[in-house]
Amino acid sequence: MSAPGADRPGSGAAAAPPARSGPGSSAADELARALDRISRVRGMRGSMWVSADDGLPVAQLLMEGVPGRAVAALAASLVRKVSGSAGAVGAGRVRFVQMEAAGGTLLVALAPPDLLVVALADGRVNVGLARLEMMRAAAAVAR
Amino acid sequence: MADDVRSLTAALARDPSSLRYADLAESLRRRGQRDEALRVALHGLARHPRHADGHDVLARIYSDLGDLDRAQLAWGKVLELAPEHPGALKGVAFVRFRQGDARAAVEALERALAIDPSDEAAQRALESMRRDAPMADLPTAELPTAELPTPVAPVPAPPVPAAASPEAGAGSAGAARPSGAKARPAVFSGFDRATADILLLDERGLVLAGGLLAPNGADVSEVAAAGLAGVSGEAARTAQHLALGGWRTIVAEAESANLVVAPVGSGALLLVRRDRSMPVGLALRFAERARGTASTWLEGQGA
Repeated sequence: MSAPGADRPGSGAAAAPPARSGPGSSAADELARALDRISRVRGMRGSMWVSADDGLPVAQLLMEGVPGRAVAALAASLVRKVSGSAGAVGAGRVRFVQMEAAGGTLLVALAPPDLLVVALADGRVNVGLARLEMMRAAAAVAR
Repeated sequence: MADDVRSLTAALARDPSSLRYADLAESLRRRGQRDEALRVALHGLARHPRHADGHDVLARIYSDLGDLDRAQLAWGKVLELAPEHPGALKGVAFVRFRQGDARAAVEALERALAIDPSDEAAQRALESMRRDAPMADLPTAELPTAELPTPVAPVPAPPVPAAASPEAGAGSAGAARPSGAKARPAVFSGFDRATADILLLDERGLVLAGGLLAPNGADVSEVAAAGLAGVSGEAARTAQHLALGGWRTIVAEAESANLVVAPVGSGALLLVRRDRSMPVGLALRFAERARGTASTWLEGQGA
């Protein structure tokens, strides 16, 4: 796995540089720690902090081969669509979205006002545990 | 006209939240591209559900498609939002006239003229109606004004399976349909809140069965369906780009409800809305059962 500015030697993962200038070091550390906790959930292939407005990665911890920028952009776009529909059906503001597919699961927790916690997992993932970690991370950032 | 469509499409691409969607839908309608016009209008209204002019365009499109019931509802919505909207008043007059209610048609035209006495289209329509047919027995014919929508052959309503009764008795355990719900095929009879929280739509964002009610009891199925069609496309795109295979469900946990969206058959989409008091896992099981029912029904329709 790789994290921006904190690549792990010997991890066997490709480094994915940050997409843009990141937050300050302490904030970056906090984001990285959250990703680290999420990544420990079984079946997780990668997790990222994403800017909700433009779908660009802010920080990421990904297994090799996971297309971080695409995951970020697609997740943000999906959340925008789902949020619009939720508003139209009177469900209110969306907090968490999970899309299950034949080959894996995409999970997104909203961290207001402008961040998303995004995770991509395979079919073995414990969704409940992943959700807990992601919601915890989102709540910590939103504080 | 083609330039209009191009420039409006470009403007919307630059700013998807723009109200220009209504102009684009109207341009497409005037070009005869009714399905595309409908899609644009419904998507725009999903973003701007209180945009009176958007509902007015939607009503014109429905009218062109021969769906006078939906046209009437859409013009009614316009008048809720803008009670003096001249286009909606003329639209209501048109629908009433087509339904054989000449008196109501004349009243609506008179209201339109009271608001805008210089409206020549309304004047011509009113004069023509009074000249050509006595009030007591005005024929069911097209309201004579070029400004009003031109109807085409009616679009057949979705078929109702032989075993299904009209939705009037389709609520939970045979309970009456909620007052705001429209009559639709009773696909989800026996499911809790079958016509208030379960919606089946096609790939174009058009309602097939079920229904969705707002907290105030208003039927919001069409607006919801329009928005959901976009979700389906986005989910398919996401799954394809990330090599995840076909998507199965989307669960959205929101402030006041949990939503489950799932594809059904080839192109249809199911939405289940459950109160947050229902655990997500249970909501998923409920949705899976509803999907099975919807799938069986669609197969019965040859879909």
